[in-house]
Amino acid sequence: MKTRVFCVMCLILALLVPSIAFAGGAAEDETTMTMWHIQTQERIVDIIEGSLERFSADNPEYRVEQVPMQNDPYKTTLIISMGADEMPDMFIHWTGGPMISYIEEGALYDLTELMEADGYKDQFLDAAIEQVTYEDSLWAVPVENVTPAFFFYNEELFDEYGLDVPETFEEFEAVSEVFMENDIIPVALANRTKWTGSIFYAYVLNRVAGAEAFADAYDGNRSFEDEDFLKAASIVQDWANRGFFGRDFNALDYDAGQDRQLLYNDNAAMYVMGSWFIFTALGESPDYMDKVGIAEFPVYEGGKGKPTDFIGTVGDNFFSISSSSENPEMAFEAITYLLDDIAVEERKAAGKIPPLKNMTFEDETDAMIYQQVEEATHIQLWLDQYLPPEEAELHKDESQRLFGGSITPEEYNRRMQEGIHGR
Amino acid sequence: MIGGKSTTLDARRKHSTATIAAVFLLPVAFFLFVYLFRSIFHMFQLSGYSWSGISRTRDFIGWGNWQRLLNDQNFFNAIGNNLIMVFACLAIQIPVGLLLAYIVDWANRRFKSLKLVYFLPLLMSAVAIGFLFKQLYDARFGLIGVMLGWFMDIPFNVLSNEQTALWAVIAVICWQFIPFYMLYFFAGLTTIPEELYEASIIDGAKRHQYIFRVSLPLISGVIKNASILCLVGSLKYFDLIYVMTEGGPAGATELMATYMYKTAFTQMRMGYGATVSSGMFIIITIISLATFKIMSMNFRRGGKIT
Amino acid sequence: MIQQRRLTPAAMVAVLFALFWVLVTALPFFFMFMTSFKTQPELFQSGSVFALPDALYFGNYIEILTGRFFMYLRNSIIVCSLAVVVLLIISSMASYVFSRLKFRMNAVLFSVVIACMAIPIHATLIPVFILTRDIGLYDQPLALVGPYIAFNIPVSVFVLTGFMKTIPVELEESAEIDGASKVRTFLSIIMPLAIPGLATLAIYNGINMWNEFIYALVLTSSVQSRTLPLAIWEYQGQYGVNIPMVMTILALSVMPMIIAFLILQERLIKGMMVGAVKG
Repeated sequence: MKTRVFCVMCLILALLVPSIAFAGGAAEDETTMTMWHIQTQERIVDIIEGSLERFSADNPEYRVEQVPMQNDPYKTTLIISMGADEMPDMFIHWTGGPMISYIEEGALYDLTELMEADGYKDQFLDAAIEQVTYEDSLWAVPVENVTPAFFFYNEELFDEYGLDVPETFEEFEAVSEVFMENDIIPVALANRTKWTGSIFYAYVLNRVAGAEAFADAYDGNRSFEDEDFLKAASIVQDWANRGFFGRDFNALDYDAGQDRQLLYNDNAAMYVMGSWFIFTALGESPDYMDKVGIAEFPVYEGGKGKPTDFIGTVGDNFFSISSSSENPEMAFEAITYLLDDIAVEERKAAGKIPPLKNMTFEDETDAMIYQQVEEATHIQLWLDQYLPPEEAELHKDESQRLFGGSITPEEYNRRMQEGIHGR
Repeated sequence: MIGGKSTTLDARRKHSTATIAAVFLLPVAFFLFVYLFRSIFHMFQLSGYSWSGISRTRDFIGWGNWQRLLNDQNFFNAIGNNLIMVFACLAIQIPVGLLLAYIVDWANRRFKSLKLVYFLPLLMSAVAIGFLFKQLYDARFGLIGVMLGWFMDIPFNVLSNEQTALWAVIAVICWQFIPFYMLYFFAGLTTIPEELYEASIIDGAKRHQYIFRVSLPLISGVIKNASILCLVGSLKYFDLIYVMTEGGPAGATELMATYMYKTAFTQMRMGYGATVSSGMFIIITIISLATFKIMSMNFRRGGKIT
Repeated sequence: MIQQRRLTPAAMVAVLFALFWVLVTALPFFFMFMTSFKTQPELFQSGSVFALPDALYFGNYIEILTGRFFMYLRNSIIVCSLAVVVLLIISSMASYVFSRLKFRMNAVLFSVVIACMAIPIHATLIPVFILTRDIGLYDQPLALVGPYIAFNIPVSVFVLTGFMKTIPVELEESAEIDGASKVRTFLSIIMPLAIPGLATLAIYNGINMWNEFIYALVLTSSVQSRTLPLAIWEYQGQYGVNIPMVMTILALSVMPMIIAFLILQERLIKGMMVGAVKG
């Protein structure tokens, strides 16, 4: 008898467990929308919460729940949710190839009308609007940050060896040789993470082949295997072989801060990274910020790229609305609060540069970055975001091999050409 | 009279055995069906399609993915790496686990906390271990990296070299899992009554004779089971490889599981990813069942009593 | 145990190895704790990541403990304890069948369970996600219980069957003669003797579930439903990681497991068989 009871209880327990649910609980009259993003730091989460509360105050029947996730898991979750058709109302992406694939799969809500209304879109920087445009329609709202990549250098080390900041490739090579003689790694690079090397390559390509080069090759208007591309890839490999990035850069991890460690400890002199580096360094090593200088990536004499061409993003995180959202217009309304006047001021104070026109900044560095972006002649989106996912992985893998020297520059370009156009 | 009763008893016993067996297996069957069988079915079904993972539509391409898989160099490279891992892990984790189990057993009275200390690596998550060992291997700042540098002329990061990267990660994986085998073997040792040890000492055996002639044979079942777990675990492995090297450099540490993850989620080729995991599943099932069969056969042939 | 005074060379090697292994396991742990007492600038500026902290900085701990840590902890505890308990109960029941009761399909079913060990977990993400959503459990911590149990069944059944096979058949037969039913035998005799195996599995599965990440990620969305492994995110920004904070969270989340281990490992005592045979 006892044993039978035991058996039955076990069965019931085992069968019921999956169907027990916690008591949920949202107010009945309210409609809740969900917003997925990747700004996990508390300060930004608070700013966004503030924006959303102001939205709810003005629109009492609506509420937005923000869900901050970490970058890489976010990508996985997004794919799974799209695959199962369980999308949040609003979510972020980085434009580029992935955004285009979302559009083509019908996952995004067309924002053209909402953006044109009342000239809302005119307050954004032109470059930002360009990034969210596809086939004459607008698909996302630029929100988070303007982050071009800069050429950072350690002023103290340069002074110590009596060097000037390099402005051309030749000067860069000379300066690097001096550093190497003194056992200092010229450029810190953590290339296990791959997109870091991609930024460097993108700049070299730009300086040699010109601003539209990559886009043209991607569109098929020129080949990845032509002369300029070969030159750029060869230069990159040559510099890597000469030890300008140190010896084990392909094993260093950006997320573990292994490249920044070298910089903070004066083991490396230069660094090519997005402008968020300033933000990061302030948190990790305030001392370093006192001795760092910011410049543009050196120019290639006779090349087609200008010093005012940048690699970077004008918006960083862009908010789109899913086509399956039940309240697209209210969702858009909520998004606009992310950059209302109060939020803009709070964001600036937190070190962000909103992608809007006519902004002024108290902080010198921010002001300088903003000015550079305003006056930029071209901004090329990070290559690994610009390309669709599969090609982006190909580019990252192959460029890592290029840096590492396991394939020739010709082979690298051939694989890019084949991978993007050949299949 | 008696004969009649025992027939009924026998039949009833068999019947009740079957009932009890069914009832006892039901909960497990439920969970396996709902979460695992359905997934396997879905996986094989998906392998017949080409799907980006986000698209509303999928294209049925029949055997297309499978043909590609059979010609996929990356996949075979991954299988190769998995096999290297299997042999390395079996050769390292089982013996060291055994050794530690005996040490802990021997020292248990006096050094109770030894078990806890040896156990610590298992507690750490892959993220923590990954970060830790990346720093340790750092050629400039890390303890291990610097020591390795003494043997080379130049700073040498063992994770960046295509020849050594896999071994470097295997070392970390062993570090993480040896505690489990220690624990498992130790649990096995607890089933051996102490009198056996005392009796063999009285009979004049030395400790190592006891270990090799009495103790080990008695836990040989546990050792074989542990080996199977190690085998399957190595074939399935994902976590630390993904955290430490992401399958790089240039595929030197790519495993079937990481390759599947990349294809399905990073490259957004869900259909092909499902094919990779189906292939993985088939390979692992065949190898583990075959190994298990072989081990059980040897067991019986050896004539040892379980 | 009879103590042997003289240490043979083999024993010396064993002792040395034991000491060596203590270092190998304890040092990384020590490093983790040490880092949790540093501030982030200190970590990168003191010349080496491994340097001892100048002063013990408790700020990280204070910040984490006054944050949402206990909420995540609560979710993790509920999910893991429920899952482990149910898992052990149903696995023991199934192992009993596989190890003892003879019937035709036994070997086949056991092989099926073993084959389930071969399933790559990532392949199950989408079907389970869809299922969870369809039964209304999406974004509830309890949604994790089902998958956690299911994925650990194969290993548990495999290990427990092995342990149960070592229990002498005589014990059961004597119980049967005394008139006990199969179920009674299971509860009073088999289970107590399987405790070393159960304890091992409780520890092993408990840890796997405690650190489990990918399902916790996929099946939850809002912050209130999250378990501990996801707590690290609050200190991982888009472009930088606050490593000391991460180490603090990791150190804190390891604590409950250490406690659980200390309690459970008492069960791994030699000689549990002895009383049974004699009695």
